[in-house]
Amino acid sequence: MRAFAVFLIALAMGGCANQSLYSWGNYEQMLYQSYKDPTKTQELKATLEAHIASADQSSQRVPPGIYAELGTLYLQDGATDKAVVMYKRERDAWPESKGLMDAMISNLERVQKAGGAR
Amino acid sequence: MKKYLTLLALVLLSGCAVTPTESWDRSAFDAAAPRSILVVPSVNRSLDVDAPNYLLSTLPVPLAEKGYYVFPINTTKVVLEQEGFYEGEQIHQQPPEDLAKLFDADAILYVTINRWDARYILLSTTVTVNFDYKLVSKDGVEIWKANQQMQYQPRNSNTGNPLADLVAAAVNAAITRASPNYLPLTRQANQRALVLGRSALPDGPYKLDGAAR
Repeated sequence: MRAFAVFLIALAMGGCANQSLYSWGNYEQMLYQSYKDPTKTQELKATLEAHIASADQSSQRVPPGIYAELGTLYLQDGATDKAVVMYKRERDAWPESKGLMDAMISNLERVQKAGGAR
Repeated sequence: MKKYLTLLALVLLSGCAVTPTESWDRSAFDAAAPRSILVVPSVNRSLDVDAPNYLLSTLPVPLAEKGYYVFPINTTKVVLEQEGFYEGEQIHQQPPEDLAKLFDADAILYVTINRWDARYILLSTTVTVNFDYKLVSKDGVEIWKANQQMQYQPRNSNTGNPLADLVAAAVNAAITRASPNYLPLTRQANQRALVLGRSALPDGPYKLDGAAR
């Protein structure tokens, strides 16, 4: 009887635990915090940077959108080069993002060129 | 012991239901077969002006875990703002085909917040969220929808001393009302609507082919 119960528990926990596809770190929490209090945006940036760095080390797949989110935060800081790097990583990791990322990258590169020519 | 086992069996049955039989017509969904979902800012019918952003922050994780490419939520917002779209109301009125083209998205998720409130009735506060979810293909066809309401009412203690219970209940209610915590409720609503419910969203490509490593 007890063995059966243990078996059931094991089944409940193992067999049908919803396995997650990605590790998200603190993304959701920090996104919420940064909406609640815009001064937390720098923290969101640091969280994403750390998350990507640790995923790079362990060759884990970074969830959809994370590179681009960091890119946009860089862009808002005026760091266009760093933004482009992140948009390219998003595009290379996720073919579904190619259209949007290519459009954003070419816009930024055009702006950069115009700035350089002046 | 028997009771315990029954409980376990129940947990098993409910917690990890084998793909429930679908209670909706999937043909439009299957025809569109979206790989990517654009989540746009929601329409807010509640009085809480912060509700749309908070809701937005809870959507990418369950959708991506469901196997879809989810467009970066904050980047989407910034791009829309550059196009002059700030309010969910205004965005929901745009032709979905145009939005999908702007982002090269397969489908768009529209969420309307019907309720997001804490109401005080007879010594207890009930926190309620209610959302309409709608997925529209890039061709402008509605391919899936759901409505989900979740409520929370803090459990009041029962000490056997009616007066003490009354005071405790009033304090509880006041605390809940002063700072209702909508996020756990919102997450539960998303889980039911998108992930677990009988008419939940079908699994997306990254879940189906286990391509995500």
